[in-house]
Formats: sequence, structure tokens, C-alpha cells
Amino acid sequence: MTEITKSKDFGNGWVELNIGPQHPSTHGVLRLKVKLDGEIIREVEPVIGYLHRNAEKICELDYYCDSLIYFDRMDYVGAMNMEVGYLEAAEKLLGIPPPERVQWIRVIMAELSRIAAHLVWAGAFGLDLGMLTPFFYCFIEREKILRIFTETCGTRQETNYMSIGGVYQDFNDKIVYDIEEFIEQFPKKLGVIFDAYVKNDIFISRNKGIGILEPEVAIDYGVTGPMLRASGIDYDVRKAEPYLVYDKVNFDIPVSYKKDNLARFLVRFEEMRQSIKIIQQAIKKIPDGPYFNPKAKKSLMIRLRGEGETYARTESPKGEFGVYLVGDGGVKPYRVRVRSPSFKNLSILPVLAKDVMIADLVAISGTIDLVFGEVDR
Amino acid sequence: MSILLRLQSLFSIFGHYLSFILAYLFETIFMIVFVMVSLIAVIYLFRKYMARVQLRIGPNRVGKFGLLQLIADSLKLVGKESVLPRGRDDMPFRMAPIIIFLGLIMSFAIIPYGSLYWAGSLTITDSDVSVLLLFAALAIMPIGELLAGISSKNKYAVVGALRGVAKDISFEIPMMISVLALVMMASARTSTPLNLISLVSVQFIPYGIPQIIGLGVFFIAMVARASYSPFDMGESDSELVAGHSTEYSGMRFGMFYMGMFGSIFLGSMIVSILYLGAYNGPFSGDLGFIYLLIKSGILVILAFTIWLSVPRIRIDKFVNLGWKYLLPASVINLVIAGILTLGLGI
Repeated sequence: MTEITKSKDFGNGWVELNIGPQHPSTHGVLRLKVKLDGEIIREVEPVIGYLHRNAEKICELDYYCDSLIYFDRMDYVGAMNMEVGYLEAAEKLLGIPPPERVQWIRVIMAELSRIAAHLVWAGAFGLDLGMLTPFFYCFIEREKILRIFTETCGTRQETNYMSIGGVYQDFNDKIVYDIEEFIEQFPKKLGVIFDAYVKNDIFISRNKGIGILEPEVAIDYGVTGPMLRASGIDYDVRKAEPYLVYDKVNFDIPVSYKKDNLARFLVRFEEMRQSIKIIQQAIKKIPDGPYFNPKAKKSLMIRLRGEGETYARTESPKGEFGVYLVGDGGVKPYRVRVRSPSFKNLSILPVLAKDVMIADLVAISGTIDLVFGEVDR
Repeated sequence: MSILLRLQSLFSIFGHYLSFILAYLFETIFMIVFVMVSLIAVIYLFRKYMARVQLRIGPNRVGKFGLLQLIADSLKLVGKESVLPRGRDDMPFRMAPIIIFLGLIMSFAIIPYGSLYWAGSLTITDSDVSVLLLFAALAIMPIGELLAGISSKNKYAVVGALRGVAKDISFEIPMMISVLALVMMASARTSTPLNLISLVSVQFIPYGIPQIIGLGVFFIAMVARASYSPFDMGESDSELVAGHSTEYSGMRFGMFYMGMFGSIFLGSMIVSILYLGAYNGPFSGDLGFIYLLIKSGILVILAFTIWLSVPRIRIDKFVNLGWKYLLPASVINLVIAGILTLGLGI
């Protein structure tokens, strides 16, 4: 590989190290240009764009109903939340509100997807710290969610389940039974995973007081989601600006005032418990009725026309996911723009990972919860 | 009678010199086969145990219960291209895996193995200062890691090698002090306390009981020298890709891999020799080797369990641990050993 040189540009004997884009702990294709002073990191510069697929532009070339699959592939571990985000905007623009039953179904699926995304994060975070075993416990639980998804919509990860004005197919008894079974056993399993992490002194020493994110800095950088809530600000779109039927269910927003890695870890685990609470209520309250809006019949789907502009924000597992749509009266959107939470959250890394050790850089970038489909789009 | 002399008498029809040459040759072959078989067993055990802990199945396709999986893997590694980086320091780069493997095999040669019923004593070499020899042989392996890190001219490898050096310095001093305490205790009973065999023979009570602190320090040191989690900072895969072995591929990488598993097995054997009474036990004249294997097997499983359940410790925290906790603990242990030896005469 490259020869080690003390570059004259830095003058002070720092070594420039490239972490990624092919590296075990960069969660995909993040590249970090790191200036090292021995073990201490003096500067970090994230370089992104290795997974850029031009999703926004492709959406502009497609019919409204076709864009959904590109949103599935943004945050691919929490795909249902991406679909909810896009449809919130698209349905507002096209004027096709989803029926009551669909809204409840979407809430259930989005929360299941949120749990799945957080489980992936929890496992990968363990790997970042050198803990191999909890990863498998997380993925076994996630597998149960993916089985529910398979039963519901035929695929595991990039679900493409929802559609404009409804969902692809209705819940049947087996799905409801599966979901009930899952939420009944999940809190216990989550407790096992949680204990595997927090009952470990080394885990605590690797995370407590590391990567402190002050709330003012977080707001300045546009950080949202669990990272913001771990810094002591109780902002959650589900509460602040309820969409779907989130105002009809009872749940709490976990907030921590410790601001460090451990706080982010605890907030995410508590969020999973709150998601279970939401699903428990939703599965009881789900009403009967049609599962799609008759205005958006499948044969008419590509002829839907939208005019005007709209912005919809939803709470994805990573943070506030916003979709901006402009329609010019045609069958295709004029402009699609996505505010992806991971991208904004990543921008905080150079601030957090200043004058820390390499091991802490890995831990901090682990707690940011990056999914590169969403950062690069 | 050592294994060498018995082999020599077996070959005595070839004459004096030739029989010795043949005896050395066969002894070496036996030992390398033993090391290889034990490595394969340890890696197989690790894979199956890891799979069981992680709710997986583990290797089960090649051979019965996947027993031949490791042979298939090593054949694959032999067949793979060994990529050499262009900017390397050629000789150290090629030497490093060999040095590691050499240190491993040398250490295996010095250990007393006890005896098995028809084979008699399995000990390969014996010396009055075999404790010193053993730790000298153990000290060879970090040289290989350091050479590998520096000669591959890769930044990850250099950082890994530097971490390895920091790690080695911080645990080796407490480790040697706890061995010193053992030798001190043994010197009350035997005239050759630096001989591993007499060190074992004086353990009427295993030294792990009076020297419980020393056992702890030494076991931590042994896990650390095998680069096992939580002390695998040198090759931490999520930070430094593979640390000092980043640039190695093919069988050269396989040698690092085997060195890692070999040193945990070796470390467990040394701990059981020094602290757990090695091959002592009922009918040790017949079953001594089995006792040694069982004791070190339990320690290997313990090390695996630690590996699978804890995250990696940060390098500065480990250096702290070494100098602020292990070193004072080992000195206290030395004082306790002195009191036990002089005051109580155990």
C-alpha cells in the first residue's frame, strides 16, 4: 500500500490515514480522511458519495407510483419508514388521503421496521466495539420481523409494500397473529441483548463520556433523531407534528441528558420498547375497512397528476426524514428532494471525533447510525 | 527417560550417530504433528463453541461434524496467492510469519507434557533452566509481529505494531514478577526451581491456591499475549482492519492465524503447568498427559468465553491496567509468596 510519509503540508508530523471506503467498521462505503498524531485523531474529514445512485433525479423521471422503490433503497434497513415518508408527501400533493385502516397498518409496519433498523444498529455497534456475540442475537430477532414482512408483502428488506392511497395487500389473520406473537416475546429478548451490553464494564468504559454532543451544537448542525434526543432535546416528529395516527396512540419519547455514546445507546433501546408499545395499541385499535383509496386504483395509478409543492416530514429510525415534492401538473414530479437524517447526522462527526483515539472514532461513528443508501442517495 | 533416548534405542541397529540423527528427525516430526493437530483441534473447538454461543451451527459440511473443515481451509490458504505489497521490506516481511511460527513451536518443545501410559514420558527437552528458556521462546513471537507491522509499510500495520509493543510491555513485567513468586516458592522445596518439571512436582497443592492473585495476573497476561479480545488491540479488526497482519495473504496469513490460536493453547498449557499442577492427579504416571490436556482445555474454553462476550478494551485503558493494577498486584503477590515461603514454609 502507500508508503508512510510525514507530509510537509501538515508540518507537525501527523500521519494521514484513509479509513475506508472498504473498511470493516465504516458501515458501507464511508471514507474518513484522518490525521493521526500517534493514536490520537487530530482531524477527521468524511468523504461521501461512493453509493450515490442519483435517486432523486430518477424519481423525477418516473411516475409518482414508481418512485417508491427508490425510497426503499435509501434507508434499506428501515425501508417501511422511507415509504411512509414519501407517501406522506405524495398523497398530500396528489390529494389522495389513505383510509383509516391503511394508516394503522402503516404505523404498525413503520414501527416494526424501526425496531428492525435499531436491531441492525445494535448488532453493528457491538461489532464496532469488538463484541461478536450480540450481533447474532439482534439478527435473530430482526429475522422474525423480516418473516412478518415476507408474509405481508413478499420481500424481506426492500419491501415496496405501501402504495399511493393504500397498501399492497391487507393484513390477514396470520399476520396479525405473527405480530402479536412477536411483540409478546420481544421485550424479554431485548432485555437479554440489553444486558449483554450494559452489564459489561468494558462496554461502559468505552462509551461513557465519549463523544459528547452539546445540544446547541446538535441544533446548529441539524442533527435529529435519537442523536438529538440523547443530547437532551425531546424533539420527535411523531409527537411534534403527528402524521398518520400517531396522535391516537400513547407512547413516550425517550430523552437522555448525558449527551454521550451511552446515552445514544440507551435512547435507541428505549425507542424499541416504545415501538412495541405503539404496536401493541395499534394491533388492538386497527379498524375494518378498505385497504386502499378507490381514487388510486391500480389501473389508474400512472395517470395521477399533481400540482403545487409539498413538504412532509416523518420520523425515520435515523431522525427527521423530509420529502419535498414539486408537481407541475404532469404525471411525473417536477422536483424530488430528500432531507436525509443520516447525512445531517454524519456532518457532526468531525466535531465529535476531534482529539479522540482511533477506537473512540469507531465507537462514535457507530453511534451515529449511518446507512449509506440514505447519506448518498 | 526422555522421548529422544527411547527413539534412539529404537533405531540403535543403525549405529550410534545415525540412530541419533534419526531420533532427532522423528522427534521433530512428532512434535510438529502434535502442534498441528492441537492447533486444528483448538480452532475446530473454537468454531463450534463460537457457533453454539452465537446460536449458529458452525462447520458441518466437510467430513463428519465438519471435522475436516480446517484441513480444507488450510488447503485453500495454501492454494491462494500470497500478495506481496510493493513497498515492503522484503526479508522482514517474509520472515515475520516464520518467526512467529518458530517461536510457537520452540515454546511447545520446552513444555513438560507428563506421561501417557504406554508411551512413557512425553517431555521433549529438559533443562535446569527451562522456565527461563520457555519465556525466552515466548518472547520471540512479538518480534515477528513487530517486524510484520513495520516491514509491510502500511499505516494500519504500523499502528497495530506500535499498539502491540505498548501492550507487550505493559503485561510482560507483571507476568514475569508473578513467575518470580512461583520460583521463590518452589525454591524452598527443590534445588532446581527453574526447572519446569520440578516446579510441577512440588505442587502438592496447586500453586493457583496460595498464589491466586498471581494466577489472575498470569492468566490475563496470557490472554493478552495471545491477542485475544478484550486485549486484541494489536489486530483490532474494526479499527485497524487486521493490525500488523493487514498486508498478509495466503499461507503467510494462515501462519498468523495459527500463531494466534497456538498461543492461546500454549498459554493455557503454561498456566496449567505453573498454577494448576499440570499433569498431577490420580494415576498421573499413566494419565498425566490427559490431565494436562483437560486442564488447559478448560482454560482455552474460558479464554474463548471471554473473547466472545466482551468488547475490545482501549489501548490507553489497557496500559493503565497493566501498570496501575497488574504490576502492583503482582508485587503484592510476590510479598505474599515471600511470607508463605519464609514464614510458613509451605
